[in-house]
Amino acid sequence: MFRFTVAVFGRGVAKRFCSSFPAEGALPPNLHLPANLVDPSRLRRPPPLADCSLPLLRRCDAAVPAHLSPMQTWVESLLTEDGEPLGLAQLHPDVFGVNPRMDILHDVEKWQRNYKRVSHAHTKVRSEVRGGGKKPWRQKGSGKARHGSIRSPIWRGGGVSHGPRGPTSYYYMLPMKVRVQGLKVALSAKMAQDYLHVVDSLNVPTPDSQYLQDLIRHRQWGESVLIVDVAEEFPENLLRATADLKKVNLIPAIGLNVHSMLKHEAVVLTLETIKFLEDKLLWHDQRYSPLYPFRLPYRDLP
Amino acid sequence: MSFPKKPGGKGLDVLQTLPRISLANLRPEPGARHRERRRGRGQHGGNRSGRGHKGERQRGTRPRLGFEGGQTPFYLPLSLKRLQYLIDLGRVDPTQPIDLTQLVNARGVTIQPLKRDYGVQLVDEGADVFAAKINIEVQRASEGAIAAVERNGGVITTSFYDPISLDILIKPVPFFMRGQPIPKRMLPGEDMVPYYRSAENRGYLADPAKIQEARLALAQKYGYVLPDISVDELYRMLATRKDVRQIFFGLSPGWVVNLTERKILKPTDEKLLKYYSS
Repeated sequence: MFRFTVAVFGRGVAKRFCSSFPAEGALPPNLHLPANLVDPSRLRRPPPLADCSLPLLRRCDAAVPAHLSPMQTWVESLLTEDGEPLGLAQLHPDVFGVNPRMDILHDVEKWQRNYKRVSHAHTKVRSEVRGGGKKPWRQKGSGKARHGSIRSPIWRGGGVSHGPRGPTSYYYMLPMKVRVQGLKVALSAKMAQDYLHVVDSLNVPTPDSQYLQDLIRHRQWGESVLIVDVAEEFPENLLRATADLKKVNLIPAIGLNVHSMLKHEAVVLTLETIKFLEDKLLWHDQRYSPLYPFRLPYRDLP
Repeated sequence: MSFPKKPGGKGLDVLQTLPRISLANLRPEPGARHRERRRGRGQHGGNRSGRGHKGERQRGTRPRLGFEGGQTPFYLPLSLKRLQYLIDLGRVDPTQPIDLTQLVNARGVTIQPLKRDYGVQLVDEGADVFAAKINIEVQRASEGAIAAVERNGGVITTSFYDPISLDILIKPVPFFMRGQPIPKRMLPGEDMVPYYRSAENRGYLADPAKIQEARLALAQKYGYVLPDISVDELYRMLATRKDVRQIFFGLSPGWVVNLTERKILKPTDEKLLKYYSS
């Protein structure tokens, strides 16, 4: 009931806010909008309906829980500039449709930034500063303030009392399942906000980077695109096309991480990448707890 | 639920109308980050800084948490109800001898040899629902548990593992990666020898003839017919027992196991052979 009253209140506020604009679509020219505002003119192809005529190119390999159903997306191709979808693909709901846990995304992204951080800031303490062993002048009778060493922290040139001490490491590990859930939440968020695109293969007709940029602009994928593939070698045309582009980046599937996914607007996956990601991410839901690190051989775990 | 629920729920629907999630939009849950309590600041927080007056409390020299001051061994209880649960779910295979390694692989018990755990004791909770024919080896067993296992035609043995052998037994793969030869299992200390030599506890040091008599006596006491396991088709499996100095089934002390090349190296020197077979 409380949620209902909040929703009613929210709608009322929006109506009042909209009525203060002069006319539909006439925004003042000096209005500075943030870059990531929801753009209604962005091409949003409606999700495929059940009675679509295009073939289903990929089914979910893993078992989908009974209370959920797989999600459907269009499968496109990079060979032509205009994006006519080739078919449909099913995505597992436990990987691409999890709850949007923003706090987990924040934690995982913060971990990614900080676990590698080693801060080399180092200051010398009064015992480490060169000199300062001798009492500067006698305790009494000189008329000056009493001091024991010329390198005490109150002196100019003296040591720092509570400064940064030596290389400090900010290493910490989040539990494995939290990191896995972070990946799942990032993929689900991209899927829900329509920034995830599925492509059958990464073959591009020309090694021309202009072709790729025109394709991205035509299909309105966004400013920056992250292209993910399972294989360690990408097609040569694509490598040459993206070599000079700063905002279009290639990454192998094992290197997929939350920071890269959030930094780039659009994420492009191939069908094999989806299979790889689903296998790896769903395994953690069903595995036993580790007795020893997983990199040592286990006979019964896959 | 008659119709399938939409994955992600209302959260993902709401996300469609919100701006793009980017590095600038992330923040933790409100209330997730607490300010840390700083000691020794201010008029009321200073002076003794919340540590009390003198003694170990103020000086920070109290012994570690849970310190009791002794080497009391712990035997983790494993109820028959839990064992039946593990067998039913297929995590433990009753057609093979059940060892502490099998129980730990099935994640049925968690043994910490560093915390003075010496193994597992079989407790007879769930003895009335227990119905599985197994060859099980534990460290201690209550009488009711022994009766329940033998009533179903199984074999139960109690054996001793010293802490090093226990650590190797529960985590064999990290031990094999070390490349050391399998050590001999040590014999129990003075106070535990009578326990493992008595037939009533089915100790591994006891006389097999006396164990047979004890089985009959227990059957009479608890009022069940002792099934004859020698005519059983799994008799060979049920009769496998470890040697007194052996840690793993099929591997003798002194052998080195190479997991990466899948090879076993055995000692050839006379002195080594004499030492490891003593």
